[in-house]
Amino acid sequence: MAVDITLLFKASVKTVKTRNKALGVPAGESPRDELLKRGSQRPKSDFSCRAREVITNIGKLKDFLLQHRKDYINAYSHLMSEYIRMTDTERDQIDQDAQIFMRTCADAIQQLRTEAHKNVQSPQVREHRAAVLDFTEDYLKRVCKLYSEQRAVRVKRMVDKKRFMLICLGFLVIFTDQNLTDAHTNLGLWGDGKGEDELSPEEIQMFEQENKRLVGEMNSLFDEVRQIEGKVVEISRLQEIFTEKVLQQDTEIDNIHQLVVGATENIKGGNEDIREAIQKNAGFRVWILFFLVMCSFSLLFLDWYDS
Amino acid sequence: MAAGIREKQTVALKRMLNFNLPPIKNSTGEPVWKVLIYDRFGQDIISPLLSVKELRDMGITLHLLLHSDRDPIPDVPAVYFVMPTEENIDRMCQDLRNQLYESYYLNFISAISRSKLEDIANAALGASAVTQVAKVFDQYLNFITLEDDMFVLCNQNKELISYRAINRPDITDTEMEAIMDTVVDSLFCFFVTLGAIPIIRCSRGTAAEMVAVKLDKKLRENLRDARNSLFTGDTLGAGQFSFQRPLLVLVDRNIDLATPLHHTWTYQALVHDVLDFHLNRVNLEESSGMENSPAGARPKKKNKKSYDLTPADKFWQKHKGSPFPEVAESVQQELESYRAQEDEVKRLKSIMGIEGEDEGAISMLSDNTAKLTSAVSSLPELLEKKRLIDLHTNVATAVLEHIKARKLDVYFEYEEKIMSKSTLDKSLLDMISDPDAGTPEDKMRLFVIYYINSVQAPSEADLEQYKKALTDAGCNLTPLNYIKQWKAFAKMASAPTSYGNVTAKPLGLFSRVMNTGSQFVMEGVKNLVLKQQNLPVTRILDNLIEMKSNPETDDYRYFDPKMLRGSDSSVPRNKNPFQEAIVFVVGGGNYIEYQNLVDYIKGKQGKHVLYGCSELFNAAQFIKQLSQLGQK
Repeated sequence: MAVDITLLFKASVKTVKTRNKALGVPAGESPRDELLKRGSQRPKSDFSCRAREVITNIGKLKDFLLQHRKDYINAYSHLMSEYIRMTDTERDQIDQDAQIFMRTCADAIQQLRTEAHKNVQSPQVREHRAAVLDFTEDYLKRVCKLYSEQRAVRVKRMVDKKRFMLICLGFLVIFTDQNLTDAHTNLGLWGDGKGEDELSPEEIQMFEQENKRLVGEMNSLFDEVRQIEGKVVEISRLQEIFTEKVLQQDTEIDNIHQLVVGATENIKGGNEDIREAIQKNAGFRVWILFFLVMCSFSLLFLDWYDS
Repeated sequence: MAAGIREKQTVALKRMLNFNLPPIKNSTGEPVWKVLIYDRFGQDIISPLLSVKELRDMGITLHLLLHSDRDPIPDVPAVYFVMPTEENIDRMCQDLRNQLYESYYLNFISAISRSKLEDIANAALGASAVTQVAKVFDQYLNFITLEDDMFVLCNQNKELISYRAINRPDITDTEMEAIMDTVVDSLFCFFVTLGAIPIIRCSRGTAAEMVAVKLDKKLRENLRDARNSLFTGDTLGAGQFSFQRPLLVLVDRNIDLATPLHHTWTYQALVHDVLDFHLNRVNLEESSGMENSPAGARPKKKNKKSYDLTPADKFWQKHKGSPFPEVAESVQQELESYRAQEDEVKRLKSIMGIEGEDEGAISMLSDNTAKLTSAVSSLPELLEKKRLIDLHTNVATAVLEHIKARKLDVYFEYEEKIMSKSTLDKSLLDMISDPDAGTPEDKMRLFVIYYINSVQAPSEADLEQYKKALTDAGCNLTPLNYIKQWKAFAKMASAPTSYGNVTAKPLGLFSRVMNTGSQFVMEGVKNLVLKQQNLPVTRILDNLIEMKSNPETDDYRYFDPKMLRGSDSSVPRNKNPFQEAIVFVVGGGNYIEYQNLVDYIKGKQGKHVLYGCSELFNAAQFIKQLSQLGQK
């Protein structure tokens, strides 16, 4: 449990000030002078200003997205009153704007990154700036996730709607077809002069059965389609993960390639050295042999000379 | 206390890093960046609790030592976490003058004195930086938490409060006071963080009593000072639903000198004894395959590896108290289960390869997709598991090598027999003169344990024999002098304590614990089973926590800082057994005692024990201290 002694500190500052005044030590400036002096003296770091700008911008985007989220996702907007309705064109506009904004933010971060390493001497400041840029990128990613979630929901709903409409249309076509043929037979019957304007019970039953069958077929088709969609979404997610991993492996393979190239160079150099060494060894041996032979010849010669 | 001390300290640290504001849970929060500056004390406190990644998550871009060269980084708030010593204060004033950072949040590990605060104020005034000093806090975190229920006082200057420093014959009163003050300060910080006021019991006539008196006085003063009391309602009430107060048992190392020297058989204690293990980090020197190359080639380079054994490591948490063969078996099991999972993932790959050719029906697809998803999502877990298995394999192999080289299992068995006063099958002389069992240090330890545990001192002739054998083996005999003194003193004070009456059962000589497919072929290493036996410290705790009456602990002093008037009685006012206890050993402790306490408290439902010591040493360091003491 921590104890806040800031007030104690301020009290000590006052005591020290009074003590200094009493002792006649030149007092430091008042807080106002301090601020003025600091404002003029220390150059505000360009880098952190811009980084903070980027962050405020991302914050604005986040607020905007959150504000309009409810309207955006609202599926039954055509049923609600006019205040909260959001047409599709408006939604597209939001999508586009958000994308442009995110791209500019990403570019700004990239720019900052290249500039950050230019006019810096100390490694600590460099590390600090790199970490700050990492944080900013992370923040941008999180906000982008918000946006992409929203958009995914909207896209799914659109796709659902389209399918549903297609199925309805198909169903309608078949039904009207049926009706036309019925009307035809009816006309025929009418022409016969039966005078009935309703379908006979068997025909009603037959039509009902066919209806039921068609509805069942459509439902099963619909279900299958939905399943497939779900699977495809999963597969796309997996694909993302795979590409990530493959990219990682790519860099690692590059590293390994470099190492291997270096290793082959070393081995070549080593071979050369060994070859030289062998040659020198051989040469050395030749000289030794020669020397020994000469010595023995000289001995023989001296021996012959003496005797 | 529902939350362990570790969690409390971590929460306190995180709050400090968040500029001492309560943390806001916001997944899309704006990043706030800061720089963390600490001294060595701060580093020791933070490193077992927060990893570098966690620091990053809290927005810390750089973490630097106070006394290193630091460059000015404008527009960044800096959080300082230092001890209020002279040199630290000087360095901080220098920083203020050089205007390194934009704003300063000063956090002192223990309370800072008024005069030093004025020094900082002076420097701030001189540098016109008073408004830059945003906040100043006393954190009261002057202790290092290693486990959920274990803490030590300090790691940096531990020679100042080591066993040797306290028990030196030539110690002056002022030095003793200084040591006691340090210990009491840390204990006080500990109780502030814990948020509870304990009932203190200690033995008479020891260093522990001095600590108890001072701690009681300090707690009492703080409680009376209603304005600045640190134990106000919000810390006590929040999260503490038991009205029980914890029991603090202060013991002195002199009660039991044999346990730190004992050879051990549990995993964590072995790692601490045999390898280089500090602050939950073990440093291994890996020699990758020793080969004797006679042609004068360069010797194989040994690479140092260090591993962190953290609470997130599930294997470590489960097995740190188990006997070593069990650990080896478990590593084997984990390895097998990991391999099975890996095979399944590989099999999936081959299935996918085959099925991808013909147009599978939807059902086929869904099955495989589900399998793929589960496989991919379990990949990070698998990788983590593999890393842990590698880590523990390396550590356990290193320990095993040491055990084989020094025949530590033989020593362990023998010492258990000595400590439980059962018959010895091999004479001590044989053990000592055995040339290929253990280093001279091991033999010295064995002999000291024997000496401590013998009811009457061995005769002069025997002693001479032993001494000769020991010097032949290359041991240094200076610890013996000190032990003789201690034994004489201990005999005067009380009867020598016994160690309980259960034995260790060797389960089978030369049993192959592993099957041949494994890496841990423990031939010749006996599969010993640890039987539960209570060390003296555990027994004292048992008596006090259950309010049992025992001649040993009956005349322990009783302190209750909440009572209006302190009394010198040893009659406890509270007759109920306690639910929480904190055992603190003044003079040093080690993992064997800790493990023993943990095992003891496992048998009791609903009770918790925290173990603390002024420093943590293994047997080698303790022998060194004893020999330094014996040299005088």
